[in-house]
Amino acid sequence: MSAQQPSGYQKSLPEITPLTKPFWDATKRHELVIQRCAKCEGHQWYPRAICTLCGSRDLKWSKASGKGSIYSFVVIRQVIDNSPAFQSDIPFVLAEVELEEGPRMYAPMVGCKPEDVRIGMKVEVLFEDATDTVAIPKFKLVP
Amino acid sequence: MIILVRKKAAIVGYGETPFSRARADKGEATLSAEQYYAWATELVLENTGLEKSDFDGEGLAVGGSEWPHSEIWSAEVAQNLGISPKLLIRSDHGGMSGVALLIQAVLAVHSGLVEKVLCVAADSPMSLQGPASRPWRYMIDFCRPFGMMGPNSMIAFILQRYLYQYGIKPEHTGKIAVTQRQHASMNPNAYLKTPMKMEDYLNSRMIVDPIRLLDCCILVNGGLAFVVASQKEAKKITDNPVHVLGIGEAHNYLHGSRTRPDVTVTGIKPAAKEAFKMARVRTKDVCFIEPYDDYTIIVLQQLEDLGFCKKGEVGKFVDKTDLSTKGKLPVNTGGGQLSAGQAGMAGGFLHVIEAVRQLRGEGGQRQVPDADVGVVSGMGGLGYAVNLVNNGIVVFGK
Repeated sequence: MSAQQPSGYQKSLPEITPLTKPFWDATKRHELVIQRCAKCEGHQWYPRAICTLCGSRDLKWSKASGKGSIYSFVVIRQVIDNSPAFQSDIPFVLAEVELEEGPRMYAPMVGCKPEDVRIGMKVEVLFEDATDTVAIPKFKLVP
Repeated sequence: MIILVRKKAAIVGYGETPFSRARADKGEATLSAEQYYAWATELVLENTGLEKSDFDGEGLAVGGSEWPHSEIWSAEVAQNLGISPKLLIRSDHGGMSGVALLIQAVLAVHSGLVEKVLCVAADSPMSLQGPASRPWRYMIDFCRPFGMMGPNSMIAFILQRYLYQYGIKPEHTGKIAVTQRQHASMNPNAYLKTPMKMEDYLNSRMIVDPIRLLDCCILVNGGLAFVVASQKEAKKITDNPVHVLGIGEAHNYLHGSRTRPDVTVTGIKPAAKEAFKMARVRTKDVCFIEPYDDYTIIVLQQLEDLGFCKKGEVGKFVDKTDLSTKGKLPVNTGGGQLSAGQAGMAGGFLHVIEAVRQLRGEGGQRQVPDADVGVVSGMGGLGYAVNLVNNGIVVFGK
């Protein structure tokens, strides 16, 4: 991917809140964590204040395997106004990954060409350091 | 239990301003959302023969807007228009706002609380002065930083998955784009009227594979309005009312599983089932449909979810079905948002107004012959790893 220096990172960054901070802290350790309900044991992504399956607020952060398969994907060929810094990445594949734990997550693919990607392919997470507080999870194809 | 609102309320008139893509940042003359609200209101009053004061002590229903607006917005619109309603409704249902406000207006009239409701929405997304309204938090936190490029990329995931499960051809989405442009060419108020061939569609550039430019709606500035009235009141206002026969809504409908839903099925499926039952109408009775159309694929999915064909068979269905105003199942008879234009958050009003035009016999060159039953859908808010979140159906009859 890009060789941008963390201090010069130009792309959109999340607005980190107390709810989402454990997720972003984990990305800096290059770990993918998602919420797991202490009551019904269901997993969910993106982070929320309640378990969307059973309604419990007793949610714990759980380390995901980082493995999954592609449920769907798109090839970004044009940036929009609020995301000009992605211009240098174009074209790039954005995947909807079905994590082994169940939930689906949007994330960019790296190390592959758009024409190499198919639905159902196995993928694995890796991280790109963006700033001192944020690393972006991305996925690569695994044989 | 089905609440019977069948023939309890009617639409008695409408207003639609010209659409514009003028841009303030290019020095072009533009109107604000507030000005379009005023213009649409003036037009609907002319169309119904009502006075603004006729809505004092009645209902006012207000759509949202991308144009910067206050949190307490419907009260601002009431003040700006100089109307003092007894009931004030605000929608934040995105593309479903027209159908959502219509349904709430019908329920309000049916309850007896009010006799009539002025439903109005306007937006000026091409002429934003200042920041637009804030998107959903997860867009900011878990979409934009990951490279998501707005709704065009979110719908592309749904089309890609549909292609994987059912294998339609580009000509199938293309038929929606081409047919609706043909309809727009007969609509004086459509923004894009130049006829389009299938070749033009297929050659239009990929924006986010598999979404082409001509799969997308065209954003415009504009204002739209209609008036809902009780049967008693409707008779006083017009001799050509359009009756609401059935309504249905489904929000955050997830087909199969909450964690891993099948995104090829929309909430239109349960909403339509309820609305058709209430209306005592079957698909074979439907003379035309005005399905919500932010993108071509969503129209195809709705043909299935409305029950015109089975899931996965829409390719075969559109191959053999004439979707033009002269055909068996006319689709988006005025060009829809794909060609007539999407007036930002007011976009979903277009489908309601076109259905009313058709059922009143005011379709001009694009009039569907002998139309007496029409179906409108509204859909809003492309969600995270799901389809459109807000879904609504209204069945209209004469």
